[in-house]
Amino acid sequence: MFSFPLLTTIVFLPLAGALGMLICWRNDLWCRRMTLSVMMADLLLAISLFTLNAHQGTAGFPSGWLRIEDFTWIPAFGIRFTLALDGISLMLILLTAVLGILAVLISWKAVTQHVAAFHFFLLTMQTGVLGVFLSTDILLFYLFWEAQTIPMFFLIGIWGHDRRIYATIKFALFTIAGSLLMLAALLSLYLLHGRQSGHYTFSLLQLTSTTFSSPVELLLFAAFTIAFAIKVPLVPVHTWLPDAHTEAPTAGSVILAGILLKTGAYALLRFAFPLFPDAARFFTPWLICLGLAGVFYAGWIALAQKDVKRLVAYSSISHMGLIIVGLAAWNLTSLSGSLLQMINHGVTTSALFILIGMLDERLHIRQLSDMGGLWKTIPVWSAFFLFFTLASLGLPGLNNFVGEILILAGTFSAWPWAAVIGFFGLLWTVVFSLRMLHESLWGEPGTLRPPNIPDLTLRELIILAPLCMAVFWLGLHPGPVLDILQNSVSGLLTHNGRLAALAPSALP
Amino acid sequence: MDTVLFLLLTFPLMGALTLALTGRGLSRRSVEILACTSVLSSWVLALTAFLMYDGKAFSVTLCHWFSAGTFQVNLDLYYDAMSAVMALMVTFVAGIVHIYSVAYMRHEEGYVRYFCFLNLFVFAMLVITMAGNLVFLYLGWEAVGLCSYALIGFWFPRIIAANAGRKAFIVTRLGDVAFGIAIALCWAHFGQLSVSGINDGVSGLTAGTAAILGMLFLWAAAGKSAQLPLSVWLPDAMAGPTPVSALIHAATMVTAGVYLLMRFFPVIQVSPFVMAAIASVGVITIGYGALAALAQTDIKRILAFSTISQVGYMFLAVGAGDLAGSMFHLISHAFFKSLLFLTAGCMIQTLHEEQNIFRMGKLRQTHPQFFWLFLAGTVSLAAVPLSGGFFSKDSILMAVYLQPHIYFKFLWLLAMLAAMLTPLYAFRLFFVVFFAESPEDRRRTTVTLPRWMTWGLWPLAVLSIFSGLFNLPINWHGGEWLTHFLAGVPDAGAQIHASSRMEWILQSCSGGTTMLMILIAWLLYGSRQPEAQPSETAFFHNLTQLCQNGFHLDQLYQTCITAPFWKMAGFLWINVDENRLDAGLDHGALSVLNISEKLRQWTTGELSQYLTMMMAGFALMLCGLTVVWWYL
Repeated sequence: MFSFPLLTTIVFLPLAGALGMLICWRNDLWCRRMTLSVMMADLLLAISLFTLNAHQGTAGFPSGWLRIEDFTWIPAFGIRFTLALDGISLMLILLTAVLGILAVLISWKAVTQHVAAFHFFLLTMQTGVLGVFLSTDILLFYLFWEAQTIPMFFLIGIWGHDRRIYATIKFALFTIAGSLLMLAALLSLYLLHGRQSGHYTFSLLQLTSTTFSSPVELLLFAAFTIAFAIKVPLVPVHTWLPDAHTEAPTAGSVILAGILLKTGAYALLRFAFPLFPDAARFFTPWLICLGLAGVFYAGWIALAQKDVKRLVAYSSISHMGLIIVGLAAWNLTSLSGSLLQMINHGVTTSALFILIGMLDERLHIRQLSDMGGLWKTIPVWSAFFLFFTLASLGLPGLNNFVGEILILAGTFSAWPWAAVIGFFGLLWTVVFSLRMLHESLWGEPGTLRPPNIPDLTLRELIILAPLCMAVFWLGLHPGPVLDILQNSVSGLLTHNGRLAALAPSALP
Repeated sequence: MDTVLFLLLTFPLMGALTLALTGRGLSRRSVEILACTSVLSSWVLALTAFLMYDGKAFSVTLCHWFSAGTFQVNLDLYYDAMSAVMALMVTFVAGIVHIYSVAYMRHEEGYVRYFCFLNLFVFAMLVITMAGNLVFLYLGWEAVGLCSYALIGFWFPRIIAANAGRKAFIVTRLGDVAFGIAIALCWAHFGQLSVSGINDGVSGLTAGTAAILGMLFLWAAAGKSAQLPLSVWLPDAMAGPTPVSALIHAATMVTAGVYLLMRFFPVIQVSPFVMAAIASVGVITIGYGALAALAQTDIKRILAFSTISQVGYMFLAVGAGDLAGSMFHLISHAFFKSLLFLTAGCMIQTLHEEQNIFRMGKLRQTHPQFFWLFLAGTVSLAAVPLSGGFFSKDSILMAVYLQPHIYFKFLWLLAMLAAMLTPLYAFRLFFVVFFAESPEDRRRTTVTLPRWMTWGLWPLAVLSIFSGLFNLPINWHGGEWLTHFLAGVPDAGAQIHASSRMEWILQSCSGGTTMLMILIAWLLYGSRQPEAQPSETAFFHNLTQLCQNGFHLDQLYQTCITAPFWKMAGFLWINVDENRLDAGLDHGALSVLNISEKLRQWTTGELSQYLTMMMAGFALMLCGLTVVWWYL
């Protein structure tokens, strides 16, 4: 049975668009239009994926997976081109596609230099990230993982703010250091498995059946996890993030916070845990501790920040810490919560970065001390800022709350004390979020502020509207999303036997 | 009935949403009408539901909210006698406050924001009242906190107001941490989160779990209800508009904590330790609030501390197992305290935002209606015999007295002592405002308020005087209507009765003390100018200062918690994150750069040097190989 390779198309459509755009690279407007339409087409394809699978069910595919596309690539080394889709990747792809569109829209006025190159990198970035979320061949995954770093390197380095060179080199060094570790680990895994089974392959589904001696497993798990933890980022390997965020252009920050950080957590869930279950069990308390440490540590530091973008960057670290706690606790409730929270965080934090970008375009201020009284100056902007901050601090009825309560309740059933500490961690979030509101919105506008600053334009409202709706939707009716996530999560939880049975040969 | 309950919730929510989305395009009058109508319709529906209520608690599931694994949450309602009474009270007081607000906020610019949040508050409060599971309850719980934050900080350009709002949010949120943990614990233990399910599953609770759960609820309730040690936010919250203080910070939101405890009374009741803890928190807070109220000079702060103190009575009642008494006091307190606040709001506006009671002068002659309204509230607050407050407070003290354990006798004694302070501060306030001379009296102009501003206060005045009829004790040949009505609530039926003689003794005892204290208040503050009094001894002065500052609780938290917290934030950022972690990594990167710089210097371009180095390298390799060869 040959079916249209939809996943492959979704992954490579942005790349094709990027190359196609080179035809009109001199015309800025056409570059923007073309990128936007490619992004939208990609979103449509992603949505079609949604409905297709809802209708077809999972017939023909092993349970847990909605769709698998598998091609021979380099048979000599057992490298295959395997893209597989389950509920988790589906939701993350959707998030990626939506944020991709928003990234183009927010740069419409903000980016004026090297427009074609900017959009070229946005699109290639998209391909890299989508590939990361879909590939289940480890080497392929590694290639996409590296591929997503390069465009971001340029996005920060060329279109960033004052200290962009420092920030982008730091970002690149951190990520590359991590991925080298991963490369070493995955090659050893490949060799180990090959020696054991006589069948050399990079397929995740087959590699999960590898048996290890305990120290080797711990070592390999640690190597993978460090690579992923840098991306998440977990304390103490987080220091690249505040700089990268602060210096990145708005679109860069959105992609970084909304999507790139999620690849780390996703990879942890998809690769590190299933490949090395025993090591994962051994390291669980450590991961939980690091996650919780991140919640408090980053929350505390966020409180002291003067630059609002840096504040939100640290808040990201804090939120991601909680997500890692939920992942490490590894049960249905906490995992569903973590995955949902990944999407929630993508929505709210991106929205905050977008709003800060809009403010920067108007007033050229990012220091909290220069703000104050913004509600009087630009009330509509302020209302949105208030709204997304409230969502981010976990107000029930808005999106983050659902994720947080699921993570913590799930964690509570396995690690009660960790959950109790986590609940206290939420207080830190409240404190720094309220400080941000306090310094920016309330009080009197300073005398230096120019009068008659325009409030949000229609384009900007259109950017914010879908995020706003997502906040409400995920906060009030997350049922459908949770159901999709949960199906895959319960597959993962009983993974070992099932994943092993999923050899490509068993595929239709 | 389902529809009624659904609409009861929906009206204020729709009001808030409409105002939020379209409010800027509407005229002022239509905004006001919209806001008031939505709440008044809600009140009518609450009344309908109340009349339709047939004594059996029932649940409605509105829709599915979210679920993961066995963690399943629906938006469901649980309507029983307690929610019936509470919903009726909330919508009634809210309706009056909304109408009053139209007059009070007549010159304010941000009226859309104001009414939007006020409507949203009513919705959230009704959610607390009727939520059928813990998570939905938590939604209301947090949403009232948000509305409180937004409305305290209504005049956000004033930093004081914004600060007060933030403080209220954070302190109550500190309480909510316990609520969150309680949710997780309930789920882990009961496997579900519905109110009725938790209350029915109590038999499976071990003493330890019950105690932990009870203490978590107590902590959460103390945050919302401004009980010790989390009481500090309420006096500051007075920075908000006065109608907000009346509705949120007196009548409804601050009683949400008590309501939570009553909701989960079967759980709390399992552990005698928790019961004693609740009662103790109540008693200590009664005394604390009353003493602090006695020394304040700002009329709203007096009322705020009085609220802290009065809510303490409700805690005490829950601790003594007297749910009906707690509810009774909750209702009567809602009436008289909102009456006092709203009247105070009228006086403050009349006197050009003057809040110092010593500068209010003789409002009695110029505004007799304020006098009568305030008198009605004060009489009930001071528990003058036959007023509403008298009966409600008396039933609580009785219940405490009748608890068999000796500890409760001790608590009763403390409560009686603290109760003596209430008439003192209530009538101090009353006498100073209405009888004392004030230096500003002569040269004062007054603002004329809209005539109808006070209309809504008269029903409140009548209710606060006569609310005793709701639960008239048996020795007064009353039917104890409220107690019977609440009998269907789990464990509320366990009503304790003293002999009629005992009741008479206790009642006349407390009635007598009240009258005595009023007399003392009259002697102290009745006619003289207290400000002109010769200053008392240093000790007395210090005592006054201590009370006025709320026993320096604020300063204590400031120095012990807030300041270190901020310091830690700065320390972690600069000293740990920047100077250790980040600088360490930068340093490492730079040393790599240095080494490569050194290596680069070897490329001098001189052929002779390259040849030398090549030879040296060759020699080294040979040596190495020899060594390896030797050992292998």
